[in-house]
Parts: sequence; C-alpha cells; structure tokens
Amino acid sequence: MFSKILIANRGEIAIRIIRACKEMGIYSVAVFSEADKNSLHVSLADEAYCIGKAQAKESYLNMNAIISAALASKAEAIHPGYGFLSENSEFASLCGKYDIAFIGPDAKTMASMSDKEKAIQIMKDAGLPIIPSSKVVSDIQNAVSEAEKIGYPLLIKARSGGGGKGIRLARNVEELKYGFHVATSEAASAFGDDGVYLEKFLTSVKHIEMQIIADNFNNMACLGERDCSTQRKNQKMIEESPCVVLPDDIRKKMIQSALKAVKATGYKGVGTIEFLYDGKDYYFMEMNTRLQVEHPVTEMVTGIDLVKWQIRVACGMELGFSKEEILPSGHAIECRINAEDAYKGFRPSCGKIETLHIPGGPWVRFDTAIYQGYVIQPFYDSMIGKLIVYAKTRDEAIRKMKAALCELIIEGIDHNARYNEEILDTEEFISGRYTTDYLSVLEMI
Amino acid sequence: MMLFKKPKNSLEGNPKIQFKLFKDKTDTLSKELFTCKKCKKAYSEKELSESFNVCPFCNEYYRISARERLDILCDSASFIEHDSELTSVNILGFEGYDEKLSEAKKQSKENESVVCGVCNIEGIKTAIFVMDPFFMMGSMGSVTGEKITRLFEYATDNKLPVVGYCVSGGARMQEGIMSLMQMAKVSAAVKRHSDANNPYICILTDPTSGGVTASFAMQADIILSEPGALVCFAGPRVIEQTIKKKVPDDIQRAECVMKNGFIDNIIGRKSQKSYIGKLLRMHMRYEA
Repeated sequence: MFSKILIANRGEIAIRIIRACKEMGIYSVAVFSEADKNSLHVSLADEAYCIGKAQAKESYLNMNAIISAALASKAEAIHPGYGFLSENSEFASLCGKYDIAFIGPDAKTMASMSDKEKAIQIMKDAGLPIIPSSKVVSDIQNAVSEAEKIGYPLLIKARSGGGGKGIRLARNVEELKYGFHVATSEAASAFGDDGVYLEKFLTSVKHIEMQIIADNFNNMACLGERDCSTQRKNQKMIEESPCVVLPDDIRKKMIQSALKAVKATGYKGVGTIEFLYDGKDYYFMEMNTRLQVEHPVTEMVTGIDLVKWQIRVACGMELGFSKEEILPSGHAIECRINAEDAYKGFRPSCGKIETLHIPGGPWVRFDTAIYQGYVIQPFYDSMIGKLIVYAKTRDEAIRKMKAALCELIIEGIDHNARYNEEILDTEEFISGRYTTDYLSVLEMI
Repeated sequence: MMLFKKPKNSLEGNPKIQFKLFKDKTDTLSKELFTCKKCKKAYSEKELSESFNVCPFCNEYYRISARERLDILCDSASFIEHDSELTSVNILGFEGYDEKLSEAKKQSKENESVVCGVCNIEGIKTAIFVMDPFFMMGSMGSVTGEKITRLFEYATDNKLPVVGYCVSGGARMQEGIMSLMQMAKVSAAVKRHSDANNPYICILTDPTSGGVTASFAMQADIILSEPGALVCFAGPRVIEQTIKKKVPDDIQRAECVMKNGFIDNIIGRKSQKSYIGKLLRMHMRYEA
C-alpha cells in the first residue's frame, strides 16, 4: 500500500480522499492556493504545501508545482480528484516520469478517451451502440441522402468543431439545405476546415451512466447505473441510483456494453461510461476516466468505498469482490448544493458562512469542505457540498432528502437547497420519467 | 497545534503488496524543473530555453553559453569558427590553475572563454566573438585576448564589422601580467579596425567587469546591453568593502549605467538579432 498520497485538488473531494487515507493509515499531503490557506483540506491533511496564486492556472493546474510538492513531501502517489488535472494525460505521464503513481488510468487510455472522435471510434469497434451519424458530407445531394438514412431531426456538426460553434439543427430537408450552407461557412471561418457531418439529434433523453472499476488482473465490475438527467445547462443537479424507468433488459445490455468498453480500452481504476437513453435505445456518449462528483450515490447502494478501491487498485491490489457479488439495493439520491442564487439567474455567491447546520440522521451524508466562519472564494467552482441520502425505497429516499434539505442551514451566502426541494416536488421527478431537458421545459432555469 | 488528531490506524492491506520504494529524485527535478530565483516559479528547462533563458513570468535574465547565443544570433548554419584549437596553458605554473582549466573546459565544453568566428546576421557577413560565462566566468586570459585580436585583424583585412558579446569577471589572475597585457593588445587591434572605417558593436551581458570593461567592452562604436546586466570595473561588493558603506541596489546595473551615459541602449534578448541586424544594415558600407 502507498504510505503517502498527495491530493492534487481542493474542496469536498480533497476532504473525501483525505478521509479515505486516514481510514487506510496513509499519510495525506494537501496542496493549496494562496486563496485556500484557511481551507479545511489544509488542516485535515497531515502535511500541506502552497502551490501558487488563487487562479487555478497558477496553482491547482500548475503541474510543475504539484510534482515539486510531491517530490518534496516524498509522496508515492497523486490522487487528482475530479476536474483540474484529473483527465490530463500530460500530467499522468509527468507523474510516471518521476516514479509517482497517478491514481487513475494510464496516460494513453486517458488521451484516447478525451479525444471524442477517437473514443467514439474505439467504442464503435468494440460493439457499443453509438449515436447514428454520417461521415463528412461533401455536398448537398450527399447530405440529403445521408439524412434520409439517419432520419430527422439531426444536427449538422463541424468536423473540427468545439464550443458549440458550427452546429445547426435541421428538422427537415429545407432546414438541412439551409443549415448545410451556414454550417460549412461557419466551420470554414471558425476552424479553417469546412468539413461537416450529420448526427441524429436526440430530444428528451435520459443521461444514464455506468460506474465501472477494473484492476490490473483483468478483473472488472460494473457497480450499477446513475440517472443524471436532472441538468441545468448541461450541469448535473440531482443524481440518483438506480434509474426507476430503466427496464431490466436494457440495464443488462448497458452493463454488458460498459464492460465491453472497459475491455476495449484496457481500462484500470474507476471510471464512468455515459449513455443517452431515449426510452427505446441507448447510445454511448463518452467515458470519464476519473472519479465523479456523484460517486457517493453508487457507494450508498453498493456499500463499496470507491475512493479506497481506487487507491487499492492503483497500488496493484486485486479487486476484493466479483461482479456477481455486487447487488445494488435500496435507493440513493444526491443533491448538489451550490453557492448561487437560483432565483436571480443562478448568480454565484461568495462570502463568509455565518451559521452552518448540517443535517444528520440515519443514511444522511453531507460531503463538504465548508465550516462555520469559512469564506467562500470566488475563484473556483460554486459547488460547496453534496447532500446524499439512502433508503430502502425511492419514495422514502425522496422524503428523507426533502427533510434533510430543510435541515440544511447555510447563512451568509445564497445557496440552492430550496431550489433542489422544488425539483423533488415536480411531477416529472416523482415519476422518474424526467429527461435532460425537463428543467428548461418547466421553465425552472 | 493540530486541530484534528491523527487516527491511530495502521497502514491497511496485505504487507506483501508494497509499492516500489520511493527513489529520491530531487536531484533530477532540479535539473529538469527550473525554479526562477527571482519569482520562484518552476517550469521546465524546455520552456526556459524556448524563451532564450529569460524567465517567461518575471523576465529575469539567465546566463547562456556562447554556443546558445550564436544559435540565437546567427543565420542558420552560417557560423564558421576561427582559432577553435587555441587553448590556455599554465605559463606561470600557478598553483591549481591546471585543475581549474580542465574543470572549466569540462563545464563549458569550450577550449577557451571566447568563441570567435564569422557569421551572417540577417544576411550581413559579420565577424563575431562571444564570451562564455561557463568558462571561468569569461575571464580574460592571454588566449582570450589573442583570439579576439586575431578576429579584429581578420575583420580589418576583410572589411567586416565586428559584433562582440562580453561577459567577464575580468582579467585572469592566474596568468598575471600576461592577461593584463591583453587589454592593450586588443585595444590596439580595435583602433586599427576602427581607423579602417569598420563598425564595432558590443553587447554587454551580465556581468561585464574588470579588465574587459576597461578595454574592448567600452571601445565599441555602439555599446548595447542586456536588461539588468552588471557593468562595472570593480563590483559592488568590492566597493562596499573598500568604502565601508552600503551602495544603492541599482548601482552598476545596465539601466543605471545607461542613465550615466556609458551605454547607448538596452535591448532584450528576444529582439537582439533584429536590432543588431538593423544597425549593421545602417552602418555597413557596401562596396560599390
């Protein structure tokens, strides 16, 4: 086992990892920016190193400073958490260069999964269902005939695109003809490459992801799904496991697909395969090669500590359970608590926490790095905590979450507990049939 | 006092599975990762050399070897070295000089503290000498003087301008009066080069001091300098010890020396090539 781990992150996830280290008897090393000197992770870790200025670019994204801290503290491994450097293959290979274990997959796997086009090709070859799309279409005739094959509505996407540019929606032939011209010229001017392709546009889909874990001995397991369809502007708000409207046969197929993906990539460690489910078929969307924000949901229903297993697998231990042994039971829900005013355009809020009361009781978990008197900094993500509840049934879990949200008191800043409660009360959420666009349909965003 | 008590948990897991023991790599780190002594930022050696050994964050100048300078300044593959085989010997039998010389040769991979030759700068043929700070801090021995003298004589004969990069701790004390004589010898060659209407541009880099400052470094038609370079005869520490007073921080720095009229302009490392190229174009007489 590693005797010392450096945690290259901040906030609640740094706390989560330090806690796992403490239970495992591992020394923990925290790194922090100048703005974070009063953060909880700094005092909770056994050692802490300042790695730069408040801006993430100068501190939590500063690879050289983090490697220096790891070498100075003689840490044997680095846990990147999520965000920041967690999916940076350059950082993973830099760790390898200095004989520091990177707690995550190898740099090559990470690089191939972060290249979306490449990832989709690998998954297609592995036999995973992918969203129907065409090759690059050369002219209008070609586009129209390809569109017939895929079916409307569809998206015209730039081959070299990114950041939402060069994407056009076409619901019929007329729109396709018009959109093709706009998209090609937009792509040419924005990316210097006018190549576009067509992709089926999925409306009203569920975002369902499969949690996987694999060790160095070809053992792998799928720890069930999470329904992350409650989203605001592509940001997940509420996650739950299991997904109530997912039929058993689809779930089985999805698990098989997820394990196929692990095999195809030779993946090691914990990861997530994200799928879109339109009520009939499901499609591979992307793979996250890291621990996820919503991992507690899976921990609650499986009883498996993902962070500890991530560390164990990284240091070469064999998985202590087989896929047959994992029987997710009960229901878990997670609400993200963000420092923002949901009723004033989700304006981020920062400042000092005057009063803090954290909900308690059986199967109520609050993962956070805040404490009374802590000053929330404007430099980083607005998520300040995650409230997770577990119960035997979904109905009981929703009741428990509503009670817990009311018990959560954070005074001094704006936060979205009340907004989360409103979502739990919507008909869509209660039925479980909600899709990724339901908050915008309900005009709740 | 720690706020949180450390739990008494022993390291979990199978003791057979031990992560390979940590190797102390702090040494390789200092080689591969460079920490700026001024702003304390760490970055790779590659980043540093890409920015011409100038800190990309705080603009602190770091010393560079003669060969690196030639790479920056000369048009590609245009440099032809002169007198590369000349090397110093311990004429006076000075104690420890032999060891010092072999150490300097090993460190700088040069035979002497100056590299001389002919090159093209932005297409203009130029005689060039570049002193190497990694060879006994560019100290001026008899071979240094001889090489520079020969370069000036070659430039005079061939009607070439001379561009010189100075970095030196002064005359080489291990060679005694022989090294001091170089001041006069080079100066004479500079004068003849100048009398033949040939331009001489000198760039002072950190540090230029002692006998070099007192001779050819200050005899150029145009004297340029790098930002923050120490330009002096006797350095600030020597002055402080002599007059028993603290001297201002900026004393003898290029900016201060320029204010007092000894330097014509201060040019950053990145723009030196184009600046020198422009000067050469303006001042070179083309044979009709």
